[in-house]
Order: sequence, then C-alpha cells, then structure tokens
Amino acid sequence: MSVEMTVLQATTAAMARAMQDDSSVVLMGEDVGVAGGIFRATQGLQQRFGDQRVIDTPLDEKGIVAHAIGMALYGLRPIAEIQFSGFIHDAFEQIMFCGTKYRWITGGEYTCPLVVRAPSFGGIKGGFWHSQSPEAYFVHGGGMKVVCPSTSDDAYRLLLAAIADPDPVLVLEAVPLYRTLSGPVDDDGVAAEIGQAEVVRAGDDVTIVTYGPPRHLALKAAEEMAEREQISIEVIDLRSLVPWDREAVSASVRRTGRLVVLHEGPQTLGFGTEIVAAVQEHDFGYLHCPIQRIAGHDMPYGFSIGDEHYRPNIDRIRAAVRRAMEYQF
Amino acid sequence: MNTPKIVSFEGQPRDPVPVPLARADELGIEQVLDADGLPSGNRPDPDLDRDLVVRMYETMVQVAALDRIGWQLQRSGRMEFWIPSRGQEASHVASTAALEPSDWIFLADREPGSFIWRGASLTRMFAQFFGREAEPLKGRRLPLLLGDRSLNIVPCTTQVGSYIPHAAGAAWAAKLRGDSTRVIVYFGDGATSRGEFHSALNFAGIHHPPVVFLCQNNGWAVSTPNDRQTASPTFAEKADAYAVRRVRVDGNDPLAVYAVTAEALAAMPEQGATLIETVTYRLGFHTSSDNPDLYRRDDEVAGWRQWDPLDRTRKYLEHRGWWTDDDEQRLNETAERDIKAAIKEAEQLPKAAPESQFDDVFERSTWMLDEQRSRLLEDYSQGGPR
Repeated sequence: MSVEMTVLQATTAAMARAMQDDSSVVLMGEDVGVAGGIFRATQGLQQRFGDQRVIDTPLDEKGIVAHAIGMALYGLRPIAEIQFSGFIHDAFEQIMFCGTKYRWITGGEYTCPLVVRAPSFGGIKGGFWHSQSPEAYFVHGGGMKVVCPSTSDDAYRLLLAAIADPDPVLVLEAVPLYRTLSGPVDDDGVAAEIGQAEVVRAGDDVTIVTYGPPRHLALKAAEEMAEREQISIEVIDLRSLVPWDREAVSASVRRTGRLVVLHEGPQTLGFGTEIVAAVQEHDFGYLHCPIQRIAGHDMPYGFSIGDEHYRPNIDRIRAAVRRAMEYQF
Repeated sequence: MNTPKIVSFEGQPRDPVPVPLARADELGIEQVLDADGLPSGNRPDPDLDRDLVVRMYETMVQVAALDRIGWQLQRSGRMEFWIPSRGQEASHVASTAALEPSDWIFLADREPGSFIWRGASLTRMFAQFFGREAEPLKGRRLPLLLGDRSLNIVPCTTQVGSYIPHAAGAAWAAKLRGDSTRVIVYFGDGATSRGEFHSALNFAGIHHPPVVFLCQNNGWAVSTPNDRQTASPTFAEKADAYAVRRVRVDGNDPLAVYAVTAEALAAMPEQGATLIETVTYRLGFHTSSDNPDLYRRDDEVAGWRQWDPLDRTRKYLEHRGWWTDDDEQRLNETAERDIKAAIKEAEQLPKAAPESQFDDVFERSTWMLDEQRSRLLEDYSQGGPR
C-alpha cells in the first residue's frame, strides 16, 4: 500500500527495510547515529538496529569509506554516508582506486558491495563546499555504478538496488528535494533495476535528457512551452549514469531529431558530453540540429551563497529548446 | 689546507645509521636472539617447537632463494619487474606463522613468505610473476602483488597504505558476525605517513577490531630514511595517540616476531588491535627500477648483514642441535630445484586473452563494456596493414 513520503522519508524507509531484511547491511558515517544524520536521513535507525550496525564515525571521509570497503570485502553490505558530496573528494582514492577495483584486481575473488550515499546538488544556499554535482569524477574510472534518484519512489527503489548490488554504487541524493518533494511509495522492498531511464513526459519535437533535480525543471519548461509555444518536449530522466540507458535516449532522439542534455555538474566533460558523443556515434543520421547542452559552468559551484546563476534554470532551458527548434542547416 | 667538511648530505648518500638492533634494550626493541643467534636478548626464548622453528627457517630460505632467482629473471629480461624481500624474511614469515590459516592477511609487496607459509604452489606464484592467466589474480597485477582467496590472503591496493583500514574494517566485520577470524595487515614505514594509517588506528582505538597492524620498518621508503619520514623516535609510538596497543620488535629475529604477534593475537579479546613495528632492513633495491647507491652507503648495508635473519635463525637451530650442515645443503638444493621447476612450468602457461580485461569490472557487465569489448575484437579481427 502506497503512502505519501518525502524524498528524505523514502530514503530512510529504504535503509530501514534493507537493514531489517538483511543483517549484513550496516550503516556508517558522521552523526548518523543518535542524531540521525545532519539531514535526518538515518533518523531512528540506530535506536532500532543498534550502534554496532549504525556506526557513528570520526570526522574522516576517507576513513568512513575505507573501513566500509573492508567490511564489504569480508561480506557485509555497508552503506557509507558522506555528509555532503562536497566532502567526498577526500575519499576519492578509496572509492575509485580501492573499492571499485577489488573485484578486477583479484580476478573476481574479492568483491566490494559498497554503497556510498552522497547528498548532492545545489539550490540549498550552501555555497561551494556543500553543493556539488560530482558525478563526472565517478563515472570515469571503471567499476563504479552511479545513480541519481529524483523522486520519492526512485529514492526508495534505487537505494534498495544499490544496497542489493554486488558492486560499489554511488547514490547522488537530491538534497534540494529531500523535504520539498513527496510522492507515493509502497514500502514493499522491491528494488529498481539500475540502468533504466524513465520517460517522464512524452513529446514529439525535442528530447531533453537529464537526471537529478533538473528533471523537475525540465518538466516545468516542457509544460509551459507546450502551452505557450506549441513545442512538444519529451523529458527523459536517466536515473542511472553507470550504466546509462542509451536505448531510451536513442529511441526518443530518433523520433524527435532534436536533443538537449541538461545537468547541474560542470559542462566540460560533464556526463552530457558522453551522451552527446554516444548519440552522434549511434544516431547521427536522425539529428535535425546540433545537440544543445545546458550544464553548470566550469567554475566553483555558484558565487556568493546562492547558485541560481550557476545551476541550469528555466530561462536557459527555454533558450536551448528554441535554439534547437530554430536551427537551419 | 683543510678540505672543507661536507655538512649537508644533499646530493650524497647519507652517513650510515648504526644498526638499532645492536642497542635493542636502549631503543625499546624486543629481542630474543643476539647477532649470533644465541637467545640472550631482552626477552626469554619462547621455546617454540622444533618443527615450527625449522619450518619458519625453511620458508625464510625459500623466500631468499625466490628473491635471488626472481631478481636474476628480471635482470635477464624474463620478468617485467621485481620487488626484493631479502632481509625481511623473519619479519613476515614469523608473524604469518603465528596466525591460524583462517585468519585474513592483507599483504603489502615484500611478503612472498606469507604466501609460501600458507601453502601456495610455487608454480602459481610464478604464474603471477609472469602475468599468466592461471593464477588467482588472472595475471592482472605486478609481480609480487600477491593474493589468493583460498589462502585468505587479500592482495594490496597498490597505493601504499591505502588498504590499512580495509583490514580494520574486515576485522570489525568478523567481530560483528561473531566469527573467530583475526586479521593482519602488512605495510612499510612510509605508509605511516598516509592518512589511512591514522584513520585505521583511530578506528581501531575506538572499536577494538581484532587486527594486527604490522609495520615493517625496513629503514627506507625508496630513498627516504626514517628520520625524514617522521620526527617520532619510533613508528610504534604513533599508536599511543590512538590508545592502540603497540610493540617494537627486532624484525630480523623470528622468535621475537612470533612471540609478539602471538601476544597481540592473545590480547585481542581485551584490547583489540596492536601496532607492531618490526625493525628490519631492506638489504636489496626498493624495486628492480631503483638504484640505492644514490642514497645509501654500502657500509650501512654491511652493518645490517651482521644481523641477517637467515644466519641468526640457522645459528639458533644449530645451537639447539636441530640443524646440521647436511640439512642446510639439502634445503638450499631443494629450494632452488623447486623454484626452477616452477619457473619452467609457469613459463609454459598461456597469458590471458586481451578481451579478458573486460571481465570482473562488475559482476554483471554493462552494455557499455560489452560494446567496447566487441569493438576491440572487431578492430583486431581486421588484421594488419592493407
């Protein structure tokens, strides 16, 4: 039976469900215990599952991930919480050159079913260190799956999928949606399949491919432009970057002939770059216009406290869609 | 006219540091054997079984033979790379010997004896050195970055010290599960400067995982000597800041190393982890790509040869009446013969096919990897120039 949950509640529900169903699931991070995490995503879990399974750690991101890797090697399923993804870079080597490599370097003998939860994205007036969209670093080195849920149901099912996965998974959680977005979730313990996109809105003229919080911005732009400009926009939320759903993107682009890629992370070598390259390689003959990119800028995440001119906004989406529609060969 | 005295060592090998093992009492180094292998050190002879000490010695001699022959293979171009272990045999063999076979070992890279002690086949080891497919790691690692799940040995992640907390995490997982498994992790003096060393000791002080942190202080991290690695007088005392049990031991004395490791294991239920600093010395090069003449002097190395773990152990065995010249000769012959037979066998084994590199990135491959694999095979199938 579905109940209405915020993205945050769905995140907590997924962890509670996994910990209840599987005693090898443990949770560790800064302040995740009695405080329930700084966002309260782990609220109540230490009280329910004990301080041996919900472990308050020292303030040490590389240590959190590194010890979680050791636990995973031994056969546990640790969930490592990084307070903000702006702090994840201290653990970068542990994630990208240790945890994600054990299976390969040992010929499959030792595996690392690790989940790293990283509250991400801007729009929370948190400044540079608290707001990051760091996915590009993690999709590049091999051995890491990366998912970006941006609805309550996805937050629940993708986190369950990450926990059940036999390999390391990075979950980039949408901080700006934690408490502002809610939706129906059936707490049935069913995991999503990592790698499947969702066609959020059907359309015929332009395809917008996105992930994370900009999904909601794209949807808003699509509704508005359908009404005011009679442009029919298809919105695809990738939900997962490694692996990503090229089939869904390709099927859409082959119909619309126009593609806009949209994400918060910096433009140069952002994930959009891979989408653009793959589409030109795979669907070149179907394109009516150059592929448009909307991304964060190649600079620190916004200036001053606000980042509204750094993150993609609706003005930029409208402009990119018009550029695609008005292009003449 | 006076020749100006060189006060700086810049550009010159350093003046030799006297062998600390000669001042064990003063430097807080636990020691059973003196330089001549007599049990007259500051610790009593643990009086281990003859068979155990003989087996440790035999393994140490095998390691030394492996090192000698491996070096020759690398120098003659039959192997890509080599990481010498000469001088550190007692430090790793005796500490591994103190464990149960079910205990987990996280290796660094100078511990082939841990592998041999656990019963690894020499052929599989040489298959690893030659990058052949038929070894547990499928030929993917540099020679001597050994691992084998069937032996409960985890190979190192190559970044020095990065894996120390993995051992602490695994130990903590074993404790959580209620298993009797203990964990040992090997690393060098240089690794103590890495953040992960401190992360792991910090965690261990709080949570008491059953882990032995075994720091093999071999004097040099490539060209960096102890006193440029840390201003602490010892590496062992770094444990004090984290309330972790610690001990400093003569790393060229297998009886002392065995005894302190056994004590560390026995202390686990009460005290959790121990940091053991084995004071030893790398007699050889850092790796086959190194040139130690640039940074250290032969007379320093010569000093350490007086404390060679092989000589001291053999003399102890002789002193106990457990070893004869015939035994020695037979051991050396067998060690060399077995190694040469293993080399011959391993060299015949096939290398992994190029497309096997796509295996084990994930348990289930992705379409992205599948596509890259197909493209590689397709490109290769077109053959050479037209």
